[in-house]
Formats: sequence, structure tokens, C-alpha cells
Amino acid sequence: MSVDAAYLSPSLPASAGKDTDVTSVPARALGRKLAVFALRQGSLAVFIGVLVYFSIAAPFFFTVGNIGNVLGQSAIAGVLAIGLTIVIIAGGSNVVTGGIDLSLAANMGLSAAVYASLVQAGQGDAVAIIGALGTGLLIGAVNAAAITLAGIVPLLATLAVMNVVAGLELVLTQNTVVPASTEFLSTLSASGPFGIPVLAYLLLVFTALVAAVVQYTPVGLRLYAVGEFPEAARAAGLRVKLFVSGAFLASGLCGGLSGILSVSYLSGSTTGAGDMLLPVVVTALLGTVFSRRLVPTIGGTLLATLFVSFLINGFQLLNISSTLVSGVQGLLILLVVSATTLLKRKGNQ
Amino acid sequence: MTTSVKWQETDDIIRLSGIIKRFGGAQALSDASLAVRRGTVHGLVGQNGAGKSTLIKLLAGLHEADEGAIEIDGVAYAGLSPQQVGHLGIHFIHQDRLLVPTFTVGEALFLGREPRIAGTPFLDRKLMRQKSAEILDRYFGLRLPNSALIGELTAAEKQIVQITRALLDNPKVLVFDEPTAALVRREAELLFALIRRLRDEGITILYISHYLSEIVDLCDTVTVLRNGRDVATLAVGETSVREIGALMVNRDIAELYPKPKVAHGSPFLELQGLGLANRYADVSLTLHRGEVLGLTGLVGSGAKELLRTLFGLETATSGAVVIEGDTVFSASPAAATAKRLALVPEDRRRDGVALDLSVTENTTLASLDRFSRAGLLDKGAEKRKASELIERLQIKTDSADALVRTLSGGNQQKVAIAKWLSRQSEIYLLDEPSVGVDIAAKVEIYTLIGELAERGAGIIVLSSDIDELLGITDRVLVFFRGRITREFISAETSPGQVLAELTGANETLRHVG
Repeated sequence: MSVDAAYLSPSLPASAGKDTDVTSVPARALGRKLAVFALRQGSLAVFIGVLVYFSIAAPFFFTVGNIGNVLGQSAIAGVLAIGLTIVIIAGGSNVVTGGIDLSLAANMGLSAAVYASLVQAGQGDAVAIIGALGTGLLIGAVNAAAITLAGIVPLLATLAVMNVVAGLELVLTQNTVVPASTEFLSTLSASGPFGIPVLAYLLLVFTALVAAVVQYTPVGLRLYAVGEFPEAARAAGLRVKLFVSGAFLASGLCGGLSGILSVSYLSGSTTGAGDMLLPVVVTALLGTVFSRRLVPTIGGTLLATLFVSFLINGFQLLNISSTLVSGVQGLLILLVVSATTLLKRKGNQ
Repeated sequence: MTTSVKWQETDDIIRLSGIIKRFGGAQALSDASLAVRRGTVHGLVGQNGAGKSTLIKLLAGLHEADEGAIEIDGVAYAGLSPQQVGHLGIHFIHQDRLLVPTFTVGEALFLGREPRIAGTPFLDRKLMRQKSAEILDRYFGLRLPNSALIGELTAAEKQIVQITRALLDNPKVLVFDEPTAALVRREAELLFALIRRLRDEGITILYISHYLSEIVDLCDTVTVLRNGRDVATLAVGETSVREIGALMVNRDIAELYPKPKVAHGSPFLELQGLGLANRYADVSLTLHRGEVLGLTGLVGSGAKELLRTLFGLETATSGAVVIEGDTVFSASPAAATAKRLALVPEDRRRDGVALDLSVTENTTLASLDRFSRAGLLDKGAEKRKASELIERLQIKTDSADALVRTLSGGNQQKVAIAKWLSRQSEIYLLDEPSVGVDIAAKVEIYTLIGELAERGAGIIVLSSDIDELLGITDRVLVFFRGRITREFISAETSPGQVLAELTGANETLRHVG
């Protein structure tokens, strides 16, 4: 291993440094640590509390069937939220100037429309898959170019791309439902082992794969460095723009993938993909409270996805109006963003 | 300047000679040379704009020279790329510590060259943790919890991590760029000890600093840059802070503190037994027209609080303030301003100027009523006054409409003073007027203070720079634990005398002035 610093020859006067008495982590960090701990454990407690409450209030809630269903229903939002998480990691978690991809939901809509249209046009699943993933990748590439080449902040660049993509979807589908059913799509939407939907397994496998790369490889570590402190990444010899572009390509690909999942789930492409945006943003931001360092993580995003889905599911089972759901989501954004912002500001002082 | 003849060819690890670099029309470097001898600590000094950072960026491969020769370790290079510089063993410790705040120490140390678990694409976090703990403990005596994040470390600890990052690459040359800017004195001394140790290990150090005393303490050799060229390379043992300072500005040292002879007029401001509970007590002094009075004291000695009281930011709990025979009571800055008092605060970027307003707007900010007619601003009058002040104070700005944010520190300070000139204030309270500005701007500020005195104003300067204080004032009053313990006649006093009084070393010789 090249890092095995030859520099640390035993001849060094090791004692010379002993009198430095540079004491460890200052006390002020302790308060912050406690607050982070409280936020993190508190969020987990709320999550578990909500599950317990629903289980008692609606007996059907805590059954394998229901949990499997919720997992399956979460797959589309989950894949999108993971894409967004990658972008937030690489772009930094500042909501205004940092990484964000507002085009993700529209991306899913267009990718789904492309898939369904190709099937309608008599193409096979392979072509349709390539078409959908290619569409997502292309959208990611446009985002990447607008951000790294033209230097537009992600919030604005992806907002513009979102509108263009949503418009293209309207042109392609004439604002109608495009039905699609193939054997491949039926397999995806069917139940797998233990009566749990295949989509649920897909979500778990996908999360595990992305988490392996993002949390456990050098590429993932560098992605965090690029987002948190681009100058430091540059000083470490990393090519910042390359990582940012890569993140937007990855998130575009996630959009394409979730497009395929949605075609299978809804047996075609439907309108109104844009409604997914808010839940996906909530999910990705909420995910940060499940991390010790208050940074976005893939695992945290999965937990947040499940939390939001269980919340919606519980509301439905309890016959609480679904119009309340977006109110609750908005509230969650406010809570999470203010808590993390306050803590981060404290940490930087 | 002088070229190759003087240098011992083989001993120099870095040789830049005859470097010319232009940015558009501006010539940043004109025939600059730098030779750094292997195994030494080499200082590089110069005012802001002298070309230090251009030269360093050139060495880092971030800029390309228009002309000149670069030789590293005896090999000539036409140009350098950052990667190449790294491979040649030259590493930079940046002023702002470039470490990711949410990373653990191990992650920050190994970013960009992460160890992997053998045979997998995965990070070896355990190895990173062990290795970093081992290095930091063995080499720096620094023990941090495994879970410690960079954001939780002190400035000094972060610097150690940054230096360690460079050491992992087994460097030949370490370049320190203003490394003590964020450190307290004790931490800075630890850093110096560390730098000496690195030199003794055979690493060559290039050390860039504004603080000449550090250069003299630490370096073996120093190169002075001025106006884009190297004006001298001196052995530190044979030079002094004063000589280096004079070379940097190309001024005689007497010109550093221009002080016109001004006859003192009538008593202007008198303090009679002024006190502020728990801050200072029994302060009596007289400031004459045309006089520059110096105040100094350690933090908490009460000197700063006295200025704040005079400007109405604090309310005295005993005693009286008399201005030209009238007992006044300034309970607010507005009242103090009406009595012709002006405060130029230490933190000018926060309190002294409005960064996002133009030079014109700033200069008239304290006296808008003088530029208003029937409640409306007379923009023409404002502009005329502003141009007059820009001219008079030689404020360097693109235009009167440029934002103050875009000005250099010295010029911002001039704007902060100009604000009061347009109001025709007559008692100036200057709190650390020259802190953070380069030497040329300092001299201009001193000149301005002299001019104010010549026009009959009374000036109180609070400063912790004793050389400066003795150079520009008539008398210096030393605060110690809330009281004036000594009065010095500036022209007859050495800095050592003031320093001894300031720190209480002379407590037995107390003589209240």
C-alpha cells in the first residue's frame, strides 16, 4: 500500500510532540453531539412510534401482506429518492446552492412514456428498457452539462429541465394514459417469494448495490468530499466537475429505472408524474437525520422512504383524508431542514 | 534582480529565475527570482500585491509563467502541472484548512489515496483509522477519539491533520501559506517547533507570512518581494524586522510613521474621574486640539470600554466628560456624534462600513442630513463630497460607485474615516486603525491621522501595536486592570518600557499619570 508512509522512520523524536497537550475534541462539540444524538434517536423513536401506533389502531397494518405492499409501493419513490440522494451528496446539502435534481419526477414520467410508447409501437422489452434508461441518462446528461459547463446552480438548471421534460411527455402521450403490458412488466408487478411483491425485492437489492458503492468505496468517499468541500476535494487531486456530472448521470439513470418500475406498477404510463417530486424531496432530506454526521446516506434514504410510505399507508388504513398527507410532508421538510440547519450552523461556529 | 551567479547550483531545491507573469494588462511578476536552499526554512514576504501569491501559484502549477526558468531539484521545467508538482514532492499547506468537516480524521487524511481491503473495491476503514491514530500520536502526540470529525477539531488540530496529509506523500518541500492566521500564540509556537523538526528531518520549508517577527524567529533565509520582483534575499541572522519592513515598502523607517509637528491648542476633551462599573475606574485625562493621544492595554484592561463609553455605546457610572468647557453626557452614539465625536471601530467590515453600499453612499452615511433637502437626498452634493474625499484620502477605487466590499482593507478603513470627515467631526476615536491592512496603506492612514491633527482635531488611538503607537502619537496612556497606570511621552519611550507596563511587569514602580 502506497500510503505506508516511509516518512515515519523510527528515528523520529516521538517524544518531542508529547508536550503539545493539544487536548482532544473541545467541549462545545459535546453539546452538538448530544443534539445530533437526540435528533437521530428521536427520529428513529418517532418512526417506531408511528409503526406501533398504526399496528394497534389498524390491525391489518402489521401483516406481511401489508408491509410487502408498502415496500412494493415505495420502490418507485425509493429509487428516485436514492438518485436524488446521490446528487445531494455530490452537490452539497445546502438546499439552495447545493445539489438538487428537481427534474427527477418528470424524468420518471417521460421515461415511462417512452417505455409504454415503444411497447405500443410493437417493440420488445429490451428495446423499451434501453429506451427508458437512455431517456433518463440523456436527461441526466443535460442537467450535468447545464450545471458543470454552463455553471447554472442545480436548483435552477434542473427546474428548467423539469419543465422541458414534462412538456416532452405531454407531446409524446398527448396527455393520455398509454397502456402497456408485456410478460416482463407482469413479472415485475407480480408477487415474489413469501407473497412479497417483486418490486419490494428490487428496491432492497438496488439500495444495497448503491449503498455498497456510495458508503463503502473510495468513489463514494470522494463523492462526499466533492459535495461537502469542493476546494478540499480539488486539493486532494479530485476532478470535482467529473464527480458532479457523474452524480447527475446516476440520478438520471435512477429516473429512467423508476420509469420502468412505474410502467409495470401502473400497467402503462400515466399523467401526473410531477406529483412525485415533493415526496421524493422530503424523503431525501429526511434521510439525513438517520446519519450520525447529519449527511445524506443511502441507508438513511431507504429508512425515510419507508417512513413516508408507512405514514401514507397508515393514513389510508385509518381512513384519514389523503389530502392531509402533503400537509404532513411539508411539515416534515420544515422540521428536518430547520433542525439540521441549526445543528450545522452550530457545528461550524 | 541579481541572477544565477550568486547561487550555489547544487544546493538549491527550487530555483525560479527571471519570472515574468502578466494578467491582461497588469504585470504581476516582473523578473522575480527565488532560490530555496535544500534543508532550510525559507521565508517569503511582501505586501499584498507584491506578487507572493502569484509566485506560489506558479510553483503549484496553477499559473503558467510568461517568461523565466523553473528548475526543481536541478531539472529544468518549461511548465508545471499540479499533479507534476505533487510528484516532484512539493506540497502546500493552505491558509484555509482544506479538510472536509464531516469526515473522520482517517477519511480526511486518506482522501484521494484511500486504502482498499485487499482484493475488493471497498474502503479499508479499519486500516485508515489505525494508521491515522498511530501517525498522529507518534508524531504529534495528538490523541483523538476514533469517531472525531474534522468539524469538531480546533484550528491547530486541523492544521496538524493537514500537515500529516502532506507528510504521507513523503514530501521534499512543504510550502506554508500564512499558516498562523487562525492560530493563537501558543498554537503558533507549537507549529514553529514542528516546522523546525521537519527541517531537521531534511524537508525544505517555504514559509509565507505577513508577520515579520515570525519570519525572523523561524526562517534561515528570507526573500523580500516588492512590485513583482525580488528586491533582496537575506540571511535572517544578519537582518532585522525593521530592515525587512523597510525593504517591503521601500521607505525609510522614519517614513513609516510620519508624524507632523503640531502645536497643541486649547484643551478639547477632558475626562474627570470617569468610571464604568467592573470595567475601569477613575480615568482622568485631557486631550488638546491638535494632539494624538495613544491608549493601550491588554484585552479587558478597560481601554476599549473607555472608547465605547465616549461614543455613547456604554454609559459611565461615575465621573464627567467635558468638551470645551461643557459637561456632556453622551447616552447614545447619536448624541456623541452631535458632539462632534467619531468612532472608527476595530472590526470595520462589521461595524465600520456598509460593505454592500457604494463608496459614495458610505462616505455620506453618517451625515445624510447635510446632503438632504426637504427629506430628499441631493445626489449631486453627495457625489461632489465623495469625489473630494476620495481624492483627499487617496482611496483606491474603480469609481465612486464601486461597492466598498471590492476595496482592499486599507481603503475600506479610509472610507470608514471619510464617513466622519464629511460630517466634520473633531474628536476621533480610532480603535486599532491599521489592523489587517498592508504597510503602504498603514502609512497612508498614519498620514491621514497627522493631517487631522494639523487641522485642529483631537485624536485618541487605541492600538496593541506599540511601535505604531509610539510612532504616531504624542503621549501614550497604559491601561492595566481598569486603571491608567502610566503615561509616556511617545518620543522619549522605547517599546520595551510600554510592554513592561502593559503586562504589569512594572507593577511595583506604579506611577499614575
